[in-house]
Amino acid sequence: MNKKQKELAIEVKGITKSYPGVVANKSVDFTVNKGEIHALVGENGAGKSTLMKILYGIEQPDEGEVSVNGNVVQINKVDAAIKLGIGMVHQEFHLVPSFTAAENIGLGEEPRNSNGLINWDKLNKDVSEIAEKYGLDVDPNLRMIDASVGVQQRTEILKTLYRNADILILDEPTAVLTPQETDELFQVIRSLVDEGKTVIFITHKLREVMEISDRVTVMRDGEVQGVSETKKTSVKELANLMVGREVFLQVKKEKSKPTDVVLEVKDLWVHDARGLVAVKGVNFEVAKGEIVGIAGVDGNGQTELVEALAGLRDTSRGEILFEGKNIEKNSPRQRRREGLAHIPEDRSNTGLNVRLAIWENLIGTSYFRSPLSRGGIVSMKNILRHSNELRETFDIRSPGVTIRAGSLSGGNQQKVVVARELSEEPALTIASQPTRGVDIGNIEAIHEQIVEIRDSGKAVLLISAELDEVMSVADRVGVIYEGEFVEWVDPSKVNQEQMGLYMAGIKG
Amino acid sequence: MEWLEVFDISLFRSVLRSMTPIALIGFGAAMCSASGVLNIGLEGKMLNAAFIGVAASYYSGSALTGFIAGVSAGVLTAILFGVLSFNLGADEVLAGLAINIFAIAFTRYLLETLFDRRGFFSDPSIQGIDPIEIEFLKDTRFELIFSGFTPSVYLVFFLAILLYFVYYKTRLGTAIRATGENPEAAEDAGINTLRMKWLTVIFSGVLAGIGGTFLSLENMTLFTEGMSAGKGYIGLVASSFGFNTPLGTFGASGFFGLGDAIGIRLQGVYELDSRLVLMIPYALTVVVLILIGVRQRYRVRRVPIDISE
Amino acid sequence: MEKFSFKDILVLIAGLFITAGVAYAILTVTGFIPTDIAKLFYEGAFVGQRNILNTLNIATPYILTSVATVISFRVGMFNIGINGSMYVGALYAAWAGYRFTTLGHLSHVSLCIFIGMLVGALWMLMPALLRVYAGVSEIISTIILNFVAVLFVSYMCNGPFRAAPIAPTTARILETAELKQYFPNSEFHTGFFIAVFVAFAAYFVLNKTTFGYELRSGGDGLVGFYPSRYSSYLGIPSDRSAITGMLISGAIGGLAGAVIVLGNTRNFYQEMAFNQGFDGILIAIIGKLEPLGGLISSLFYAALKNGGLFVDYKTEVSREIVVILMSILIFFVSAQKIVSSLERFEFVKKLDKFFSRKVK
Repeated sequence: MNKKQKELAIEVKGITKSYPGVVANKSVDFTVNKGEIHALVGENGAGKSTLMKILYGIEQPDEGEVSVNGNVVQINKVDAAIKLGIGMVHQEFHLVPSFTAAENIGLGEEPRNSNGLINWDKLNKDVSEIAEKYGLDVDPNLRMIDASVGVQQRTEILKTLYRNADILILDEPTAVLTPQETDELFQVIRSLVDEGKTVIFITHKLREVMEISDRVTVMRDGEVQGVSETKKTSVKELANLMVGREVFLQVKKEKSKPTDVVLEVKDLWVHDARGLVAVKGVNFEVAKGEIVGIAGVDGNGQTELVEALAGLRDTSRGEILFEGKNIEKNSPRQRRREGLAHIPEDRSNTGLNVRLAIWENLIGTSYFRSPLSRGGIVSMKNILRHSNELRETFDIRSPGVTIRAGSLSGGNQQKVVVARELSEEPALTIASQPTRGVDIGNIEAIHEQIVEIRDSGKAVLLISAELDEVMSVADRVGVIYEGEFVEWVDPSKVNQEQMGLYMAGIKG
Repeated sequence: MEWLEVFDISLFRSVLRSMTPIALIGFGAAMCSASGVLNIGLEGKMLNAAFIGVAASYYSGSALTGFIAGVSAGVLTAILFGVLSFNLGADEVLAGLAINIFAIAFTRYLLETLFDRRGFFSDPSIQGIDPIEIEFLKDTRFELIFSGFTPSVYLVFFLAILLYFVYYKTRLGTAIRATGENPEAAEDAGINTLRMKWLTVIFSGVLAGIGGTFLSLENMTLFTEGMSAGKGYIGLVASSFGFNTPLGTFGASGFFGLGDAIGIRLQGVYELDSRLVLMIPYALTVVVLILIGVRQRYRVRRVPIDISE
Repeated sequence: MEKFSFKDILVLIAGLFITAGVAYAILTVTGFIPTDIAKLFYEGAFVGQRNILNTLNIATPYILTSVATVISFRVGMFNIGINGSMYVGALYAAWAGYRFTTLGHLSHVSLCIFIGMLVGALWMLMPALLRVYAGVSEIISTIILNFVAVLFVSYMCNGPFRAAPIAPTTARILETAELKQYFPNSEFHTGFFIAVFVAFAAYFVLNKTTFGYELRSGGDGLVGFYPSRYSSYLGIPSDRSAITGMLISGAIGGLAGAVIVLGNTRNFYQEMAFNQGFDGILIAIIGKLEPLGGLISSLFYAALKNGGLFVDYKTEVSREIVVILMSILIFFVSAQKIVSSLERFEFVKKLDKFFSRKVK
């Protein structure tokens, strides 16, 4: 390493940022050398995104200071970050679909002729030149609506380069890419650095960290756990830092006594909304009297797997057997009737209609049955009794059941969903991210309920990006990575380091 | 084919006159839609402008004063729409609808209160805007075709070209389109999306004002109750027919104008009923909307499963 | 649907006060004595059998169009084509009214109403299907259909349905098809009871039946929530709900047209112009998108209109002042930020809580 590379592109000192109820960054120190590829790794909610939002001017820190190229700066809006030469490629692309690549790249900064009109030829030429210089294969005239994900990402990168960014922040850039596209991206990143740019690469995929980065910073629970040169560390060490806990949170429970198999999934393939293969031929079983957990970082096919099981997404291949019967063609209501309940990860749009009253949300799975309705006519008396009972049993804190569900706090909204789904006493409950956005006290209550269901001889499939949650609640855990199970483990026997490796897609 | 006789120079002139208010409104609606605002309140803006234009011309005896007052009325109504939708959180469509209903009653009320008339108001002291004779076309064969229209008719052609340049060839145009299609991308590029929306709404107010005064001071020199007669809505339809682009809207307006002109010509003369002709532009609009919708819907293609992985 | 909350009522009352203030100002500026005019308003709307009956007669179509609005909005579809349904419903009710000659009173009226509703519903089929299967905005397509409806009925009563050689109108409906007017001094007819029945039926269906729950599960806000993930998650086909809601909305719109033809005009003529479809949307919003709220605000609006006619007749004040005031009220009520900004006040919060506890 020569002397020039030792200069700091970014220096963050003592950054603290809290949101209501959660501290996202706790006095974070973070440095990036000029001309390096710096990986920033951590689980969901570790505080990586918050730190990057602060660097890019989207959020303001409560405490601490940021220096760019050696000068202390105030980055109070995105414009300011761009002026400082910081560019960010978001995980969800910010592209105008009907615009061409060049139009997107130049938006707001188009070169103009002396008469004030945009010089499209110059823009196209400029874009082509930059693209060629950094080895980014993008046709300036291709509309984004017709472009592949890889091309869209390269367009986003070009957007930052066109605005003369010297420091590029890539937020989970490989999450949406195929392996081939990932290789291409890495080549681009290398050529960017060869041309003197600095790259901050946010990821949770440790293999990629080892492959591409010069240095790596690990975050957990809003704090920096360690900084190291990539050469001097190992996947094992990183996994340990990333997962970190000596012991998992413990939930009181007996040893499970699994009996009959309720759910059997055979060679299941599922496509996602973009038409890519999200679940790649998974096989597993869930038996009565056990909680099966699925661990893994968000976006590895969990969403699509759950939606397929619950009847919200078509399967592309394979079988879903519920108590021995193939339920692949059944509607969500038919599946519920068979005894399959579903607590969805998207609470406010899927799990609830926030514009309906609490009672209306509570009867969503049972309104068509006696005693809540007879002959198509609802009995308000029975419904209100039923709803108020559920309100008490599940401790939904609200002045009554007639107010809109949207006026409840996140935790109480989740209780409404849980109450509705569990009130049916289903043979199998699929709980997807059941405690996301729920405060600590309620998390424990929900965990206890899940264990209670199991102890009453029912089955639970628990999907969570919170490793703590899966490891402490589930009896058996499968780790999913890019649509496939890496390994099935007994949470009481596996060590943390090993879990971290599995979640990064590395078989032990 | 005797009904072919309807196609002559006077039909062409009548198409231009019919399409003018539709195109003016259509341009405004297209710009609003491009910036992501569904503006169905243009009908009311136009009607207010038509009335205020006539009233101001009557009191001042000056066509120019009438024109300026009419355009101001259109802009003020647009500001009301903007305040309701952007500042007070009202639903855009509801705000537009309420403004349309408000304008009908408001103009009728003023008609009765100021002039003690019902139905319509015409008076020799209302000064209309005169047609323009184009000198260099005089005594050529083009005089019959292009000369002698009121200013707004020429303005439509001018606007079609001007807006084409603004839309495709200026930063303002790309900023407006980005605002409507992906506000996040626009904000990323340092574009103030709210300002863009205000801009298009005010612009549509100006055009609706011109369209309104076209009806009451140019095409005719009088005001009749509800004289906008749905042109505000037709302009909106024409803009969606024209993909919310300037030239598309211009073409679609021409189409609606043609239907209108043929309809008037056919009235009671030939066996082909004029109303059926008038329906054709609407039917075509529906077809266009279906094509747009279906195209967007079936865009996702699934990657084939590769079992060998 | 959430019950009326205190802050909504507060906004409504404040809106009424402000519009009353605007009215006071307008009247004073134009040289009238507001209290005198208010008395005349009251007299024209409520005093004497004739005035009351006329108020109810005016309310009849508004009740129906506001209920039609309520239903479409609450399934998440923004139907502003109720006017179109009114036209075709009126036309075909008139046709059925003279075409079927051998029926008794009850069967003939029922048939005419059925045909009016059927045609009104079919009129909404295309926008519903376009929205669900091609993603075409129902707002644009229903605006288009409003124009097509006017052209279509005008064509029909000039052509195939034209009866009189002089004027473009249909034949008069037969006596068996008439909705009876029982009072010689008013056009009030039995259609009013049909409208009230429909409002109550809509209230019952929307709020008290499983079918209504399924319709509302994907919507129940102000506008534009189709397609709903919540519905599909429960296994309720939200496509079906959206289409059904639009069809019911169209049917009630058609009924509004039919009732006017069968009860008031007794034939369909080319100059017939409806605007109740649009006004019904505003009335429904003031009625908080509840069918019975629509009923009450229709009566309120009709009383204002009828009072306005009386004032117009007695004085120089134009009747249009009523619609102006109504739209100002709408500007106020639809401004969501005013409602939400009230939450800053502690007493509003407390009263809100108090009232929601009451309805439990």
